[in-house]
Amino acid sequence: MAQPTSSVATPPGREDVPGEPLVVLSKVNKHFGALHVLRDIDLTVHRGEVVVVIGPSGSGKSTLCRAINRLETIDSGTITIDGAPLPAEGKALARLRADVGMVFQSFNLFAHKTVLQNVTLGPIKAKGMKKADAEAAAMRLLERVGVADQSGKLPAQLSGGQQQRVAIARALAMQPKVMLFDEPTSALDPEMINEVLDVMVSLAREGMTMVVVTHEMGFARKAAHRVVFMDGGQIVEEAGPEEFFTAPRSDRAKDFLSKILTH
Amino acid sequence: MNVIFDNIPAYLTGFLMTLKLSLVSGILALICGLFLAAFRVSPLTPLRALATTYVELLRNTPLTIVFFFLVFVAPQFGILAPLGFWTAVIALSAYTAAFVCEAVRSGINSVQFGQAEAARAIGLTFGQSLSLVILPQAVRTVIPPLINVFIALAKNTSVAAGFATVELMASGRRLATANPADTVWVLVGVALFYLAITIPAGILAGVVERKVAFAR
Amino acid sequence: MRLRSTGLIALLSVSALTLSACSGGDDTEPEPAASTADVAEFPEGSTMAKLAEAGKITVGTKFDQPLFGLVGPDGVPEGFDVEIARIIASNLGIDEDGISWKETVSANRETFIKSGDVDIVVATYTINDKRKAEVSFAGPYYLAGQSILTLTTTTDIEGPDDLAGKKVCTVAGSTPEANLLANFPDTEVVPFGTYSECLEPLRNGQVDAVSTDNVILAGFAADNEDLEVRGEPFTEEPYGIGLGLEDDEFRTWINDTLEAAFADGSWTEAWEATAGTVLPTPEPPAVDRY
Repeated sequence: MAQPTSSVATPPGREDVPGEPLVVLSKVNKHFGALHVLRDIDLTVHRGEVVVVIGPSGSGKSTLCRAINRLETIDSGTITIDGAPLPAEGKALARLRADVGMVFQSFNLFAHKTVLQNVTLGPIKAKGMKKADAEAAAMRLLERVGVADQSGKLPAQLSGGQQQRVAIARALAMQPKVMLFDEPTSALDPEMINEVLDVMVSLAREGMTMVVVTHEMGFARKAAHRVVFMDGGQIVEEAGPEEFFTAPRSDRAKDFLSKILTH
Repeated sequence: MNVIFDNIPAYLTGFLMTLKLSLVSGILALICGLFLAAFRVSPLTPLRALATTYVELLRNTPLTIVFFFLVFVAPQFGILAPLGFWTAVIALSAYTAAFVCEAVRSGINSVQFGQAEAARAIGLTFGQSLSLVILPQAVRTVIPPLINVFIALAKNTSVAAGFATVELMASGRRLATANPADTVWVLVGVALFYLAITIPAGILAGVVERKVAFAR
Repeated sequence: MRLRSTGLIALLSVSALTLSACSGGDDTEPEPAASTADVAEFPEGSTMAKLAEAGKITVGTKFDQPLFGLVGPDGVPEGFDVEIARIIASNLGIDEDGISWKETVSANRETFIKSGDVDIVVATYTINDKRKAEVSFAGPYYLAGQSILTLTTTTDIEGPDDLAGKKVCTVAGSTPEANLLANFPDTEVVPFGTYSECLEPLRNGQVDAVSTDNVILAGFAADNEDLEVRGEPFTEEPYGIGLGLEDDEFRTWINDTLEAAFADGSWTEAWEATAGTVLPTPEPPAVDRY
């Protein structure tokens, strides 16, 4: 995981993506009642690739992200992770979710457990890791995200930025094949956004496969291999970040970018 | 008044039976109620339907009818519960489990939905999510209503008096027959012994409630 | 599967009737043969005079006791107790319309008399010394005794001597229960709310016998072919008429009225029309003018 990356200043283009397909969505459709939130989504995320999903609210980008570990069920189509289709409810699904890390907009740290317990719960209970091993690994991760000194506290005693970094450590503790980020900085005060983005950027540079739903263009420029633009439940445009931000092809992408970049 | 002090042993026999009924039924109802609540929030539709039907049926049936069915109707279908204590325990815990389930379920609903999602997202199974993440957080909101359910159970044990169980109420009736002049005092005695269970439980509920309020 | 639901339905209907029961109105029972007394005969200020003058009497009786006091679909109770009350009422010059029937159960009979809710209680009411301290008793007008009911197929219970080690059903808080507890230490007493509730457990083998006054058991045996009364009564339960404590004038008058009814055949007629349909006609008992 800790492979050093050479091209720090300029993000690698698509041709640099090393891996084979890891997450594959094919003809995925989903409705919320009458609302068609995902329309024939085809998307492939390769091993080691960082995909940023952007789009106006209600475009279906969060639903797409949550569908990848089946927090949302889909109506039709297939989703495979590392070649295996998503299982239905049950033990198999739990095992698959252990391989897919998820970071939520509202952190969702376990309120009754300490920071350390938040990080060790999954490895101990879902992976059967010994408590001592899990705690040692958890401390290394907390160190890495910069909150090791908070390990004995309850989540409510931490700032939002610290909580989200713990949430990232909690997801990493499962040694996932892919990390999903569902608007990880949207609920943060502005001064805390960067401390979380920094962790994410370093994660990307270490080669983690990531799907990130965000409005942070800076992060996309710095870390993404590819930007996926969604609107109205469809993938409207896909491109490398430089290309997308400087020369979007679709009118909807141009319109969206003009709205978020003007201020 | 003297009739109470003169008959303490008779009262105690009944009181101990009432206490035993309350505790055994209370524990069974707690276990069954937890499972029912788990069923009611489970992702499997048949389990949800089963638990919902059970709860609505039992919760909306007078306890006497539950006893009645167990003692007089179930035998016609070949189900013969051992008469007396165990019949009472089955009827009381089956009935009370429905109320436990509702108390626990409202506690589960009071825990933020994101907690369950996060638990599932790190690979915990439904049972693990519930027992490791949701229920520990629900406990604080669940305990005060649960104590009320237990108080109701303690009083409901008196229904067993009509169904082959000599608990506090039945002991009271025997004493009333033996002491027709002091029927009122005999019943006052019965009430006092019920209070010996329900008042401490009520105080406990108050203490827990204050603690919960403080912890938030 | 054969559903034995008759007992259950009877049980349910008794409960329903108990709830719907109200005081009697136009009854078509034949008037008892006893001659109607003249109102003017009663001493001034006596209970008899007051009742006769008002033309009304409130009688407490059982509403769920076959043969003695059982409410019919019209809300008017029927049975031997009811007929005895009618004899007393008619001797006070009170006609059927003047009688209000009020349900009394074992636990509230003394209370109802003391509070004046009822004028007299005729409700399979056993005379005993403890009760004599609370209310007065006229009579007895019948001598019952506790007995044993079991299935016709039962072979090991022929009488009270066979009850050791057996489960015997009775009513919680009743005199028969107290008798069993005091005199049959080796018998397991299984108390239910009413006697009719004992029948299903008996049929299911959950209890071995039912025990209470023979007249009650005779009613069940008459209605159910699979049940029968075994052995001789092992207690004496003199049924008396309960009235206000120390109303000796009223008590003496009721005793006189009962003796007259014993003598002129109206007591026998009342018996034969009710409990006598299933039980042999006994000799009238001697009233106890204590």
